[in-house]
Amino acid sequence: MIKKYISAIVCGFGAGVLQIVPLLKSFACCLFIPFAAFLSLLLDQRANKSIERITAKKAFTFGLLTGIYAALFGSVFEILITFITKHNDIIAAFPQMQKMIEGFPVSSDVKQDVLKLFQNIREDLITKGFSWLYTLTIFLNNFLVNSIFGIAGGLIGAQILNNKLNKRSDEN
Amino acid sequence: MRRSYSIILFFILFIWFAGIFANFFVKLDENLLYAIPFLKKNYSLVCHQDEHKLISFASTNTFVCARCTGIYLGLLFTSAIFLLFKTAKKMELKFLILASMPMISDVILHSLNFYPYSKTIAFTTGLLFGSVGFLYLYNGLNQLFIEIKR
Repeated sequence: MIKKYISAIVCGFGAGVLQIVPLLKSFACCLFIPFAAFLSLLLDQRANKSIERITAKKAFTFGLLTGIYAALFGSVFEILITFITKHNDIIAAFPQMQKMIEGFPVSSDVKQDVLKLFQNIREDLITKGFSWLYTLTIFLNNFLVNSIFGIAGGLIGAQILNNKLNKRSDEN
Repeated sequence: MRRSYSIILFFILFIWFAGIFANFFVKLDENLLYAIPFLKKNYSLVCHQDEHKLISFASTNTFVCARCTGIYLGLLFTSAIFLLFKTAKKMELKFLILASMPMISDVILHSLNFYPYSKTIAFTTGLLFGSVGFLYLYNGLNQLFIEIKR
């Protein structure tokens, strides 16, 4: 089972890491995960020396798995790095976020509530390096977004690869 | 693909696209403010959120850059058209390549400082890519449903 989907694991790992590396993170793009899903299909095709058309079911599975592995590795690494360094985006961007929230035309009670909520998360992260709410958010966000983008990448990627196969068979 | 699936797809894209403008909706319901930092973090997964590349309106920013906004609007726009006109033609790869060329060229040229970053160019090239990209996504989903039914 693992061997069958090894390319999805490898590409998911790569995409997950790219999502959390500080410098590379600034190049984050909506095409990272779809490209990883496409790459997992391509690697699988090359590894098996397959010349068969990729079915949509296979593309869906590889895309979903790439997304899930990217979310898993990305979330675990982000939580681990935060735990070790006791520093992350939320802490760094807190003053900016504070300014942003204060700029909204809403009642001061709501603003105070929201700031208190994030102040608690920030304090937990600085003192313990861990916050339940933060961890839950990271996992939920990563799994939902990466899975959907992975599926889209898999389905579009399969058409690109099938198109190449069609061309090759036309030439022969 | 059945019309009901097309409608679901349209609504998923609509919710995703509306989320980009969540900052603007806080004025309508102040409780949305609780979700804003989480949404910002959510969209950071798919966009660098560089402040000078975000679309600003009435001193409020979108959650993704002009290019990404263009891509998602393109996807939404084409999905809306597909609700009205049901077509499932097999797409040639060259259309996707052609549609992505302006976007890739823009990324390369402004990264190499040939010209400064332009939100209009980024948005337009993204829009073109998103509009054409949806056709491939739709075809892929269509194929998936056919295979599942078999």
